[in-house]
Amino acid sequence: MCGIVGLHLKNAELYPRLGELLVPMLDCMASRGPDSAGVALHDGHAMHVVKDVGPPVEICVRNGIAERGGFQGIGHTRMATESAVTTQHSHPFAPTPDMAVVHNGSFSNHATVRRRLARHGIGCTTDNDTEVASRFIGHQVAGGADLADALRMVLKELDGFFTLLVTTGTQFAVLRDSFACKPAVIAETDDYVAVASEYHALAGLPGIGDARVFEPVPEEVYAWTR
Amino acid sequence: MAAAPLPMDARRPSHTFGPQTIAAIQRMAEEGHYEIRGWGAKRVLPTFDDLVFLTASVSRYPLEGYRERCETRTVLGARRASRPLELDIPITIAGMSFGALSAPAKIALGRAATAVGTSTTTGDGGMSEEERAASHLLVYQCLPSRYGFNPADLKRADAIEIVIGQGAKPGGGGMLLGQKVSDRVAAMRTLPAGIDQRSASRHPDWVGPDDLRIKIEELREATGWEKPVYVKLGATRVGNDVKLAVAAGADVVVVDGMQGGTGASQDVFLEHAGIPTLAAVRLAAEALRELGVEDEVQLVVSGGIRTGADVAKALALGATAVSLGVAPLIALGCNGRTWVRDGVAHDATADYRALGTEPGYCHHMHTGRCPVGIATQDRDLEARLDPEAGARRVANYLRSVTMELTTMARACGKSDVHNLEPEDLVALTVEAAAMAQVPLAGTTWIPGRS
Amino acid sequence: MDPVILDCTQLSTREINAALGGLPDGAAARVMAPWGRHNLAVGLDNRITVRIEGNAGYFIGGLCAGPDVVVDGFVGWSVAENLMRGTVRVRGNASECAGASAHGGTLIVEGDASSRAGISLKGGTVLVAGDVGHMSGFMAQAGILLVGGDAGQALGDSLYETVIYVGGSIASLGSDARVEDLTDDDVLTVKRLADRAGFEHIDPGNVTRVASARELYHFDALAGQRY
Ligand code: SF4
Repeated sequence: MCGIVGLHLKNAELYPRLGELLVPMLDCMASRGPDSAGVALHDGHAMHVVKDVGPPVEICVRNGIAERGGFQGIGHTRMATESAVTTQHSHPFAPTPDMAVVHNGSFSNHATVRRRLARHGIGCTTDNDTEVASRFIGHQVAGGADLADALRMVLKELDGFFTLLVTTGTQFAVLRDSFACKPAVIAETDDYVAVASEYHALAGLPGIGDARVFEPVPEEVYAWTR
Repeated sequence: MAAAPLPMDARRPSHTFGPQTIAAIQRMAEEGHYEIRGWGAKRVLPTFDDLVFLTASVSRYPLEGYRERCETRTVLGARRASRPLELDIPITIAGMSFGALSAPAKIALGRAATAVGTSTTTGDGGMSEEERAASHLLVYQCLPSRYGFNPADLKRADAIEIVIGQGAKPGGGGMLLGQKVSDRVAAMRTLPAGIDQRSASRHPDWVGPDDLRIKIEELREATGWEKPVYVKLGATRVGNDVKLAVAAGADVVVVDGMQGGTGASQDVFLEHAGIPTLAAVRLAAEALRELGVEDEVQLVVSGGIRTGADVAKALALGATAVSLGVAPLIALGCNGRTWVRDGVAHDATADYRALGTEPGYCHHMHTGRCPVGIATQDRDLEARLDPEAGARRVANYLRSVTMELTTMARACGKSDVHNLEPEDLVALTVEAAAMAQVPLAGTTWIPGRS
Repeated sequence: MDPVILDCTQLSTREINAALGGLPDGAAARVMAPWGRHNLAVGLDNRITVRIEGNAGYFIGGLCAGPDVVVDGFVGWSVAENLMRGTVRVRGNASECAGASAHGGTLIVEGDASSRAGISLKGGTVLVAGDVGHMSGFMAQAGILLVGGDAGQALGDSLYETVIYVGGSIASLGSDARVEDLTDDDVLTVKRLADRAGFEHIDPGNVTRVASARELYHFDALAGQRY
């Protein structure tokens, strides 16, 4: 149970400001997830994941997130539900070197999916449900699925309530479960796509007043490619 | 000529398919429907009975009964509320709806609670005038159905209880069969009269602890941050859920174990969902301790609590107060053989029989034909319960339970019942030792610890 | 009397609601720079007008019984939840559960409303100019939900006595919801409501009426009900 944010920049002029724009978004989600926070930034060459226990702003300051650039990034603030409050249990989860996953909600059959993945030789390092989902998506993509198809497989295999936000070296995707009980708002302009659990995380973005603001509908994959 | 007796082997009952299971399967085959009934779990469960107190002797000294005071005053909700609930005893009356219960039953419970200085609680269906008038301290439930929920009643309540689940059916919604959806009940709930009412199992306006946090703030804003906000949970993943309720901002967490009762539920829920109260109280107390808020957030425990011994054990394991549902109904006359009017006792056995049960075995609140006028909306039946006499009986019962509680606390050397602690207890069974995390009697062994 | 100005950048939610609650009937207030702030103008029972100038968060106008609230922007979840009297008007889009469990009063959304609009409605009126998301009107008990645009999946699932009118298309109906013939009374009702909301694009004679088939009102598994 948490807050999630994501920013996919279309306008290259904004790339240097990625961190500067993302940090206030994450800060707005602090009340949804007071336990820990993290971000994953894609600069076009590599993905950088930073996560830690504590309030999001402190973590961002400590790691100089606001000074970092890139073409997209996601972030997460965590209110731990069933697993421990540690850095390892924090989001984003990175199942592969260029994929990051954040999640708001709660999966109800992650133990079974975890065992299924183990049979394919894929182990999880924590008992966190989001790690299972992230490894499941990573496994699908490694097997040749494109990201949108991998997310559709999530709908088939994972039960429960979720809003998922996934980034790869080229893509940015959002998915909500069939009940769509965990919030998500998307704002799109010519310059960017931004996603957050609540609108106020988007409110400070440039040109937000003219953005197309909408909520993702259940079971539909929304994906953007660089 | 008499038939020859059957050989022993021919009457050997099956444990897997015993007579009751056979009857249940036959009934389902005929009706194509699961069983719906009232009351709570009927199966054998580990309970507080499996714990005993290590009362004072040489190493510790007891207090004198009657002469040396043992404090029972209890404060709930001081964490954030400017007007916490101040109770004379740590024993409260749980949420039961007008609808499930008759008006005289609700009035009797309210008056009894008022007489002994404790609180009573509304239920699914809102607050009735009689109930507000009868109850000095009234906790207003905010349930998934929101039947009859309104800001005016919210403002005249003494505390707010957000119900996420109940022990009888954690994860399930409320239920009131058509027989009890009388015109008045229907109007209070904005429903057509006579329908089989099924309430939602999730709240209509928020889902999950992150959104609950915002909901709690809304309720506080709407009531000027005066009233304690309780969050009530059906006992399942207690450790996680208590922590999340605290993170969401609860002043008081109410944990309802699987022995908790209900007006109507699927039998499969009553018998197979949730964990026993004994395990739930320990897990909840542990969660509060892990968060370091055990002095700030109060734990109220419910589910099958009957006696002062149960209350004392719940308090020793970490509860600040307990909440009673079925027991006060029994005090009112539930499952009694007779009902009394103008001093004359009338036998109700035939009415129990008509429901297919007997006094002592009745769980038939769902029928709306309660033989003693408690769980009914029928005019003639509810007239069998005199609220004044009922209130006296319930108050007597609550006073007796309190005396049992203080007797035990004094014998443990406590001048305040809230000073009871887990170290005052040992367990008689390995199961109880494991669930309560107290040593098996005569040993220092706590299963799972060493 | 000039409207009272309440600036969210200077005041806490608690200070704003306390200030609003203390205004006499007939007064007006402007709430500035809400920036997605939750729980603004909740639990008010005075007859005032409140203008929230920007996008706001969850539960805006919730638990109110009197004021007229206008939001110049987008709102988060459960706007006007448990409304009793008065109106809440949202000039932009509303997020999920708009008008949840409203017992009275009117919620007007000039944009779209998301999933579960009018869930558990208990007599209130929810008027949406645009589209509504899936499961709208879920378990709605009384009152009216009027949708100017399209309705998402499972409209009116487990409906009780609320009546839903839809100007556009309906992706699918939920359990126990059915389309019924439009009566003259319905046309008058829709006209009155559309006029009140200022929804000129709705043709009252050309909406679809959805109401309960009432087949889930009683337990009867042998009838093959889906529950
Ligand atoms: S006697 Fe009445 S209250 Fe008691 S179990 Fe039977 S129906 Fe319920």
